Amino acid sequence: MTNINAFAGVDVGSLGTKAVILVNGEIAGSSLIRTGINSVENGLESLEKALDSANLKKEDLKYIVGTGYGRISAPYANKTITEITCHAKGAHYLHPATRTIIDMGGQDCKAIRVDEEGNVVDFAMNDKCAAGTGRFLEVMANVFKVDISELGPLALKATQVLPVSSTCTVFAESETVSLLARGEKPEDIIIGVHHAIANRIKGLFSRVGIQSDVFFSGGVAKNTGMRKALEEVLEVRIANPENDPQLVGAIGAAVSAQRLYEKSGNVSQRSA
Amino acid sequence: MSDSNFFSYPEEIKEEFLQTEDIQFRDGSKATPAEVWEFLTKEGPVRYPFAYDHSRYHGRRFSKDMTLPYTLKHNYLILTMNDRMTKAKKNGVPVVFAQGGQSVDPYYAAGAIGLRPASVNIWARGQQEGLNLVQEQVRSSDQKEKAYRATSFEICQSAGYENIQEGTVPVDIIAPYTCLRCSDISYGLEAHRHGGRKDVKLLVVDYPLGDQKNKEWAIEYFAENIRRLTDEISKLTGKKMTAGDLSKEIKLHNEGRRLALEIADLWWSATVPPTSGEDRRYLLQMGGMEIHGDPVATLSVLREARKTIENRVKNGQKGLGVSEKAARLFLCGSCVQVNNHRTEEAGGIVVGTDNHWSDITTIVEEDGDPFYNLAKAILSYPYEQTIQERAQWTIDQINKSRADGALFMYNWGCNTQSAVARAICDQLKKKLNLPTLIIEHEMRGTQSEQLQNRVNAFVEMIQ
Repeated sequence: MTNINAFAGVDVGSLGTKAVILVNGEIAGSSLIRTGINSVENGLESLEKALDSANLKKEDLKYIVGTGYGRISAPYANKTITEITCHAKGAHYLHPATRTIIDMGGQDCKAIRVDEEGNVVDFAMNDKCAAGTGRFLEVMANVFKVDISELGPLALKATQVLPVSSTCTVFAESETVSLLARGEKPEDIIIGVHHAIANRIKGLFSRVGIQSDVFFSGGVAKNTGMRKALEEVLEVRIANPENDPQLVGAIGAAVSAQRLYEKSGNVSQRSA
Repeated sequence: MSDSNFFSYPEEIKEEFLQTEDIQFRDGSKATPAEVWEFLTKEGPVRYPFAYDHSRYHGRRFSKDMTLPYTLKHNYLILTMNDRMTKAKKNGVPVVFAQGGQSVDPYYAAGAIGLRPASVNIWARGQQEGLNLVQEQVRSSDQKEKAYRATSFEICQSAGYENIQEGTVPVDIIAPYTCLRCSDISYGLEAHRHGGRKDVKLLVVDYPLGDQKNKEWAIEYFAENIRRLTDEISKLTGKKMTAGDLSKEIKLHNEGRRLALEIADLWWSATVPPTSGEDRRYLLQMGGMEIHGDPVATLSVLREARKTIENRVKNGQKGLGVSEKAARLFLCGSCVQVNNHRTEEAGGIVVGTDNHWSDITTIVEEDGDPFYNLAKAILSYPYEQTIQERAQWTIDQINKSRADGALFMYNWGCNTQSAVARAICDQLKKKLNLPTLIIEHEMRGTQSEQLQNRVNAFVEMIQ
């Protein structure tokens, strides 16, 4: 191990695997790859790529935290932490005024409340259903024969919000097909899909409450239409940090890695 | 299945275990510690290899805490369920499918064995020998899926009904109580209506809903329903049950309930948890006197276990695998479990539950008309009361158990518990300022990664 204060966070999600390298408390490298069938290899590949982008080697790392659903197969990690805690830490690192986080990933969405130090004080998650997740949007993108990245910009062109079911992805898909068949504008249906998801999220916040500043993380946070729908439905302004929102969990894992390393009696030069 | 995951009892504990007490059975027979040891170390691993799998994803894996003799005896009673039920049936003892969270005193008083859905599944599980863990899980999952297909909707306790409908377990009567806690009873009745076993009698014990515990008419009405139940069982046994039989049975079951209460108080009084969450769970579950299909056997294990727990608490002994500063969790909801082993790995421990604990904490009056007393007790189960009353009782249990947070879980399709979860949690938050988490999950045991992810995040939040 070298004297570089380098820490890593690896977030193996259902759709994407992310890794972030923190050096002296600053983000020095990151990577994002599509999650494949082997969690261990996905994590290692993502970590290697993040290390390459930071011009570091694995031996330079003092501590690694694994998170995401793939963390149960993360032999490279010193410790594993749930992504709920990591998203809280990551959002707080990027935007310290964060008190509420909406995290929308590939297979779940979360409403997380945090204190002034980024500790989770309450959270709620969607239950056994893809409605309200990145997978839901993937299915919808397939219906409209567009890339998922095009959904957000299309939603912003809508002239009205057509109601779409938020109960079930498959029901919503058939409802969407029916709306298209009766000649409704795709943009109006797409914004309806985004509002359906936002309403789903609103239900989660009815359990945990909402307080500014609100931070939006996860892969779905890249979707501008989703951001707008959430702001309208939740009646809040969402903070807009520059970093890739899909990396927030991995950032939080790296921040946790540094804190755990320091907590174990070691001292790094600058706290994250 | 990896050999490294295969659990076996070490020879070093044998001598000490052989000094423990016999398990006494209702039919007058007994199992000596030597017989229990022989079964668990030779016969059991061959007949039921899945039970010995020590994979971390096996939520009901055997306890590694070798200084708790009751864990061995409990495992023996679970693994011999099929043998004992087969023997009972041969001896003409009827078996009744019970559901609704009630106590089983009247079933036994009338000369039958009363089994809840989970026990019916254990019985069915015992009929297929030689299965490893994956094979056993496939078998169990197949049973549930068959029931879903038969009814076309998702039922919580579907496997129990399916085992009856396909004749895997030859129960004589399906006799659930129509309690509020379990909307699946109506689903179960539908499963029976469409099932192939019309020869299995259906008898619904009508539970007066809606805060009726202090109304004389309701107590009398429910007592009459219990009489109907015992009369029906008596027709099968050919022996009329008397009030004296019921009184005697109530006394026996009260002893079990009292022992469980004493053990819980001892367990909660300890500075650090004296057993793991799993070893606590089934120990206190024994207070319901149903879990082994033989209340006399359960009682003999409970009596011995009480001494063990008392000594542990006196010596300040910590449960194996439990962290010093474990986040103490109280688990609310019907027919739900977490994987206790993995929860403890994450730094938490389940210190209490509300579901069947509600009927265990209700001691039945022993003087006077036993039908009336039993009806009055069952109508006063805290779990079946108004949300305010149930929440207050839960608060009392949480205070006693010194829980740091409460999980409210319900199975997909459990309409009753899903509807009350938030109201109960709101009360816990308001009156105790307690962190709570509501989890809905599919009835697929404790293997779900999504479920464990939420539990682990909750533990991290508390810590």
